[in-house]
Amino acid sequence: MSDNETASSTRRDRDLTNAQDMIVCEGVSKWFGDFQALNGVSATIKEQEVVVVLGPSGSGKSTWIRCINRLEQHQEGRIVVDGVELSNDLRNIEKVRSEVGMVFQMFNLFPHLTVRDNISLAPIWVRKKPRTEAEEQATALLERVGIPEQADKFPGQLSGGQQQRVAIARALAMEPKVMLFDEPTSALDPEMIKEVLDVMKELALSGMTMMVVTHEMGFAKEVADKIMFMEGGQIVEMGTPEHFFTNPTEERTKLFLSQIL
Amino acid sequence: MQSHAEEKSSTLKAVSQRVPLWRDVVVIKWVTQIGLLAVVVASLWFLAGQAGDNLRARNINTGFDFLERPPDIQLSEGIDTSPATGGRALWVGMVNTLRMAVVGIIFATVLGVVVGLARLSNNWLIKRLAGLWIETLRNVPLLVQMIFYFAVLTALPRVSLESGPINGWLHVSNKGISMPRIFISDGFYQWITVVAVGCLAAFFIRKQRIKKHDLTGENTHAVYWAFFTVCTFALIGLFIHPVFGFVGGIFSALATLFENIPTTLIKVLLSSILIFFAARWIRNFFASRRSATGHLSLIDDDIFRMIFVGAGALIAIIVVVAWTGISSWILNSGRDLFHMLEAKFEVDGAARPFDAMKPDIVKPGKFANYGTNGLTMGPGFAAVFFGVVFYTSAFVAEIIRGGILAVPKGQIEAANAVGLSRGQSLRHIVLPQAIRIILPPMGNQYLNLTKNTSLAIAVGYSDIVQVGQTVYNQTGKSLPVMAIWMLFYLTCSLTISVIVNFYNVRMKIVER
Amino acid sequence: MTNFKDSTSTDQLNSDPAEAESSSRELPPKIAALSPSEWLKANLFSSTFNSILTVISVAAILLILRGLLSFIFNPLRQWSATATNMRLLMTQAYPENQYVRIWVSLGFLLFLAGVSLAFWRAGRRVQIAQVGKQLLAIGAFILLTTLLAPFSNKATIIWLLIGVFIIGVGMFLKPADEQKTVSSLTLLSGAFLLAILSLWVIPYGHHSYISTRTPKILAEPGTVAMTTKLPWTIMLGVAISSYFLACIFRDKIDEAKSKAVLSAAWLISPLFLLFLVLRDPDFDTGHLFSTDIPIFVFFSVVGSVLLLWLTKPEIGEKGRIISTAILFIGFGTFAISMLMIVRILTLCLAFFALAAPTFSGQKPARIRYAKVWIATMVILCWLITAINTPSTAKVPGDFFIGGFAITLMIFFFTMVLAFPLGVLLALARTSKFPIFRIISTTFIEFIRGVPLITILIFFSVMVPLFLPEGMDLTEIAAVTIAFIIFEAAYLAENVRGGLQSVTRGQHEAAEAVGMTNAQKTFFIVLPQALRVAIPPMVGQIIATFKETGLLAIIGIFDFLYIARSVIPGQTEYMGSTRENLLFVSLVYLVICFSMSKASQRVEKRVGLGER
Repeated sequence: MSDNETASSTRRDRDLTNAQDMIVCEGVSKWFGDFQALNGVSATIKEQEVVVVLGPSGSGKSTWIRCINRLEQHQEGRIVVDGVELSNDLRNIEKVRSEVGMVFQMFNLFPHLTVRDNISLAPIWVRKKPRTEAEEQATALLERVGIPEQADKFPGQLSGGQQQRVAIARALAMEPKVMLFDEPTSALDPEMIKEVLDVMKELALSGMTMMVVTHEMGFAKEVADKIMFMEGGQIVEMGTPEHFFTNPTEERTKLFLSQIL
Repeated sequence: MQSHAEEKSSTLKAVSQRVPLWRDVVVIKWVTQIGLLAVVVASLWFLAGQAGDNLRARNINTGFDFLERPPDIQLSEGIDTSPATGGRALWVGMVNTLRMAVVGIIFATVLGVVVGLARLSNNWLIKRLAGLWIETLRNVPLLVQMIFYFAVLTALPRVSLESGPINGWLHVSNKGISMPRIFISDGFYQWITVVAVGCLAAFFIRKQRIKKHDLTGENTHAVYWAFFTVCTFALIGLFIHPVFGFVGGIFSALATLFENIPTTLIKVLLSSILIFFAARWIRNFFASRRSATGHLSLIDDDIFRMIFVGAGALIAIIVVVAWTGISSWILNSGRDLFHMLEAKFEVDGAARPFDAMKPDIVKPGKFANYGTNGLTMGPGFAAVFFGVVFYTSAFVAEIIRGGILAVPKGQIEAANAVGLSRGQSLRHIVLPQAIRIILPPMGNQYLNLTKNTSLAIAVGYSDIVQVGQTVYNQTGKSLPVMAIWMLFYLTCSLTISVIVNFYNVRMKIVER
Repeated sequence: MTNFKDSTSTDQLNSDPAEAESSSRELPPKIAALSPSEWLKANLFSSTFNSILTVISVAAILLILRGLLSFIFNPLRQWSATATNMRLLMTQAYPENQYVRIWVSLGFLLFLAGVSLAFWRAGRRVQIAQVGKQLLAIGAFILLTTLLAPFSNKATIIWLLIGVFIIGVGMFLKPADEQKTVSSLTLLSGAFLLAILSLWVIPYGHHSYISTRTPKILAEPGTVAMTTKLPWTIMLGVAISSYFLACIFRDKIDEAKSKAVLSAAWLISPLFLLFLVLRDPDFDTGHLFSTDIPIFVFFSVVGSVLLLWLTKPEIGEKGRIISTAILFIGFGTFAISMLMIVRILTLCLAFFALAAPTFSGQKPARIRYAKVWIATMVILCWLITAINTPSTAKVPGDFFIGGFAITLMIFFFTMVLAFPLGVLLALARTSKFPIFRIISTTFIEFIRGVPLITILIFFSVMVPLFLPEGMDLTEIAAVTIAFIIFEAAYLAENVRGGLQSVTRGQHEAAEAVGMTNAQKTFFIVLPQALRVAIPPMVGQIIATFKETGLLAIIGIFDFLYIARSVIPGQTEYMGSTRENLLFVSLVYLVICFSMSKASQRVEKRVGLGER
């Protein structure tokens, strides 16, 4: 992690214009009863791109990324992930789910399974891997997130930061093409936030396509290729971190930044 | 962004295609459900067809005509021990069941609360005794207990003119337990009208007192005022109740009204009520699904719900219109009700609202028996009564104990910290919270108790199940009788759960 | 299988931190024991009100105890009615020369119990000093009782001596060191040993029920003790030796696997015992080879091939369509005349096929699935054939066994079959599919709204009317179905509580890693939900056991019916109802009480109470 600075600078220089589209959203709208959570969101996320979604609470950030692996069902517009459109097609839903990894705010680890089983369960039953192979992979992933010694413990015995790292490992075990992070550090004590962010940075460096909803401005500045600012279910402003943090164009963005920085 | 627009839309076009039916999640969802529904309906249809064939083959008629025919039944106890028709016999059974349930609920609650508090006592012996009571009674099946109590009661000495323990006041023998009785007499309905007027007055007085309290801040004792108003009216009512004899005239007029309404009017009325409710429901439903901008988005579940409600209302309307019996039943029962009430008020002015009598023993022939004066529990009644009361009290005690222990200690400490006295903190802090925990499981126990009274069949107490069994043994109408049982018990269960839910909701609002 | 592994690992999870804590924590200062007078003051006479309560309740206890004792030891009581009819109470008129079958079944169950106790490491450590205290209390109670009871002088002296002896043992054990403990299993087997020893020493009853002189039923002097002391001794030997045997072997074999095998044995062995040992079906070899075995072979071979193919990971929705087609064929078989066994097996195959995508995977997983299918076939085919074959054990009456045995049997079948049905109902009631919800809710609320007795009467009277021609169902089977349906509705509510306690986040996490609904339910939701639902379900199991008494109302010769109606009908024992009923109450009390205590202990051990 010592070469974070150099790494992030190399990332910024990378040319993503020729990269393939990974996620395409077009006019995505969603209502909860009377309340319109998403109001015609359109955006494109390219392969290997790291996108940070910012915005005040209730602005529809979480709803949007939950729509992308169909934990919520969008009602208007289209979402295409890696060339597969999310529709009522069972095959497409299964395909997108197994290609999009998700990390939750509250970790949502399976409390009745050991850490190892948490990670290897989906590869065994969804990816149909042999058990031994899946468990070896789990061990390797735990090493990658820095907690190989916790493999046989239960989630309840781990700290919040460790749990969130296990959750990241669990999502990675499915070998996803995209990783979605829904406020991964909001439920953590301050001293544990760094260990999770370090893992996420390492992941970004390895070339994973990532979409992150977070309030960690440091992370956004350092790692993001693109920042999207949402309010009232719409993307208000979109741009590189330099542009976003130094001279935002929209009034609402300025207001948000003045409150948060 | 703009530059990619064209390329993007082409990507979208390439991936977009019609979803094959067998992969469409909505199709799968509804085919599965309709499939299950079809299997359930088909099995029921098959069973009903089988039953019909078998019934025809055995020459069994399933009509309800036995309700009108005179049965050959002698009931052990109840409002009418030799009923004139099968329907009347079942009615007596229902009243017996309800009577047992109500009495049982009251006594089980009182006993249960006492035992539950004893379980929390700081007296070692009392605590242990309560524990013994609970563990013994809830671990022996109710049926075994009932049969045992019945065996003990019937093994008691025969009743004689000198039966004790307190001759003339309390008799215990193999014919049951007989004791003095207080009962409502002919003047009761006039008296209760006086009390109702008193309640109305009390309501206004209380309102006025509360208003005064709010204005001046002085303690106006609103509740005491209301209470004393009701008491005063009740007392005065004992002497002046014949004044309200005129109420009978009102009921008589209402009865005449019900006699003269045409059934068509009732049909139209019922149908319009149904249409009104269905339409209101659907309108509200649309309103809740419409966004602020007027955008309407329905998912398949919503459409299903609307179809369900609409179809339900339509079927109900067709039934109401096509089946005149319903409308005329409403009219007839309304008329009968008011005629009955009218009769209740046509009493001679000297009739007292209440009366009391001492038990008596008669000896018409060779054997003595209890007379009709006292309040007599036959061995069957007593066995069921003691059975359900003791058994349920053990469960109630555990619920009470659990509820009180569940109120966190911090609550009492907090109450002490703001300076409430012990009594105040109990009344305003501990009890409201404990009751909120206690009430739902208590409702469950009341339901269980009501259903448990059906075990009376084992000791020959004439409850609905026992009477029903006798009726179908004589007439062979097992299917209709069982339908009546189930309908009766479902109504009871529903009523109790509605009451408990009502209180639950009210408690929660009061809490907030 | 995963479940068992989970539960054991949770045990470790819960025990680990606790042990670590207790060893690191300093011991709390000991509270000085109160002297007897201080104890009395603190617990019985702390205030005037308490003193009055104490005095009144002591008087009440003495009076009631005195009354109870004079009832029990009244020379008019016919306790010999219960003792003489012990065999009738336990197994009804099961033929005496076949009795060894019952002992063999019991022996097998005890063997299983011994092995299971060893593998689950049951039993806790009890301080010897504590045992001493208990003995002191028991001894004191015996002394008190003896003084109150209307015994003859000789009996009084014997009982006083017994009481003094027990107090002596208690005094001897009480000052033992706190560290000295003994396993509760040792205590239990010690108690059983004493009871069985007493069979050899004390001449209990000396009666047995002999029905040779039918139709006139009379009791002749025989001996309960003599016919049972040897078998009971062997039974105890079997239980203890199987325990020690299992203790030796448990470290040498895979524990998780053997626990799974044991659990399966508990579920399946009663079926086999019932049919193989107690009923001994008289198989018709010709029919067996011409119909039963070919059907079995056909379904196992075709089924395994089909399932091996369907569990391929790449099968996709093709598999789903084929499974649905089999399901339709399965339902279609009911429209045409066909052997019932074929219909059942086809439906069974359809359900296995539908579940196949959930368990698909690489070769080992697929072969395991096929093995499970063949095992299911073996059990199902054997059972169906056994049920349709006449029994060699001929007994008078409707059914081949009665009394307490039938209570236990119906209880067992109800629990085993009501549990899966209840889980299904609960899943349907919490499902996203509105029609499933409506059907399940209607069913559950209907069943819960009416008393059990009406359902039992309905089934025992009406079931013959609903059956197609040629099909026959004994009353016992009809009643068992009624019990199953009733208990399933209640269990469903317990399971629903558990299902609702599983957070939405768990569902979402499972969906996000790509699990199908079935996988999510099976691997994530149910294991968590069932664990939460254990305490209310145990309560329901106890309630079910108590409800088996209702069999008596519909005239089945169960425990209670024999005690209440049959024995008092014998000429010698007219009016012995109360004695018999007291015995029945005692049996129910002991069983239900120990079940609820055991469940409380298990809850604590699994750490459920802490949630």
